[in-house]
Amino acid sequence: MDTSPVRIGDVNEALVEPLPMVATAHSEGFAELYERTFPRVYAYVASLLRDRAAAEDVTSQAFERAYTKRRAYRPARGTIDAWLFGIARNAALDELRRRKRRAVLEIDPEDTGSPSPEDQAELALRRETVRAALASLDGQERDLIALKFAGGLSNAEIARVLGMSESNAGTRLHRTITKLREACHE
Amino acid sequence: MSDQLAAIDDALETGVAGHGDPLTRELQELALALRADAPEPDEAFRQRLRERVESGFPKARAPRPPLWRRAMTPALATGAVALPIVLIVLASGGAPSPSDEGGGSGGGGASMSLPEQDPAAGGGGGTAGERAAKSAPAVALPPDSGFAPGRRDRKIERSVGLELEMPVDEMARVAEQVSALTNRHGGFVLSSSVSTGEDAAGGDFELRIPATRLRPALRDLAALADVRTQSQTGRDVTREHVTARDRLQAARGERRSLLQRLELATTDEEAEAIRRRLDLVAGEINGLRAQLRDLRLRTDYAVVTVSLLPKDGDRNQGGAGGSFDDAIGDAGKLLVGVAGVIVRVLAVALPLGLIALLGWLAGGVVRRRRRESALA
Repeated sequence: MDTSPVRIGDVNEALVEPLPMVATAHSEGFAELYERTFPRVYAYVASLLRDRAAAEDVTSQAFERAYTKRRAYRPARGTIDAWLFGIARNAALDELRRRKRRAVLEIDPEDTGSPSPEDQAELALRRETVRAALASLDGQERDLIALKFAGGLSNAEIARVLGMSESNAGTRLHRTITKLREACHE
Repeated sequence: MSDQLAAIDDALETGVAGHGDPLTRELQELALALRADAPEPDEAFRQRLRERVESGFPKARAPRPPLWRRAMTPALATGAVALPIVLIVLASGGAPSPSDEGGGSGGGGASMSLPEQDPAAGGGGGTAGERAAKSAPAVALPPDSGFAPGRRDRKIERSVGLELEMPVDEMARVAEQVSALTNRHGGFVLSSSVSTGEDAAGGDFELRIPATRLRPALRDLAALADVRTQSQTGRDVTREHVTARDRLQAARGERRSLLQRLELATTDEEAEAIRRRLDLVAGEINGLRAQLRDLRLRTDYAVVTVSLLPKDGDRNQGGAGGSFDDAIGDAGKLLVGVAGVIVRVLAVALPLGLIALLGWLAGGVVRRRRRESALA
């Protein structure tokens, strides 16, 4: 009897609300935290730095700092994801500042994921359009977009990372994505 | 706005951009495109980092600083914290002991706190003596060697202040005993005032006690009632005494010489001049005698001032030190002293802590702004 899971297509409505991830330093080991968050942390850092090598260094630093400070995490002050992304963001901003001091003011946006041959031309074109639109945003707006779409954080977690209220984070996110949409049409 | 944000979250969750509103659907599609365009990590890097995570981020051991440097850092930090506190405590005189609480030693001269009484020393008898025998008086007596040990011929001017505390109804009896005790030790009462009314009970005595009888006299005085405070001062007047004595001897020698010259004088003018000189010398001798007499009185007799004070509250239970009430009182004074030190330390530590806190907060804000400036 075949017991392998079967993916059912054409399901665009969630039958069960996903449970919020209640992950704490006590309930989740650091290795599990790493496995769960690594791709998103890397994606966020790489989006900010736009440099693969630097993104790897900073991601590594972020996880090492988080490992060192793991006992300082307090669940009452936000989810562990927000805490981890805060560390990653600080490390990435430190790296950006170091670059500025080294007078490497700007690095051209890296082609972080070239369309695979099987990508459709329309999708590739859309990606290029979005990347060009992203380049028109300022640093803080790109940070917000990266936290939301590369980091996959909720608005509440973004608010925690940026030190603002959730409603303010939502407003800024809406404004930014609207601006991005308009930039895509230009 | 919130509907569009919710629609974006729905799209990110389901991976489908299916909102009815074209604008909102476009935002959903944009969100999905952004999600899809997120950079993906290299698998080799992922594996390397996983290994570091699983091994707890082992570090290449940096060369350890020398032992003296490792020891100096905490020592310097401790010193930096402790030094101001120690200085404050020293400057404030430390915790006041019960004996100097509310009292303080008397005026100038060599004010000193003296060791406790020698219980074997002789003393007065009678009621005061019995009382002294029952409990050690809370007064420090001058040592047998006096204020200037090692020099027998030194002339020391002594003054002692005592504050005796007693129930109001015992004040008259104690006042009488102060006078009697002074006479018994060969001294005299220079001045006294006693009031025994309930509202303003109290008394003050200024006594002259022979210096040789000071110890037993003080012991007996202390046995009359509870000693609230005591102070003693001593001033060395040996130099004044020797100078006056030498000048007196010289003046006397000059007078003898003048008298011999007067006997041998041959003319009236010469005799008259010698007489005028003799008058001057005689006046000088009289002045020096008076000075020596005054010095002798001041050194042979100690000035003892005794203040009689009513006891606070209803502590009219008699008995000398060592009672439960005394212990409570001492404990209270000790607590007050400790609280005083704590307040002084806090007076320094709180502003410093506040400054440090403000500095830490300001530093955090500055660090955050400098980081954020990387995004500008």
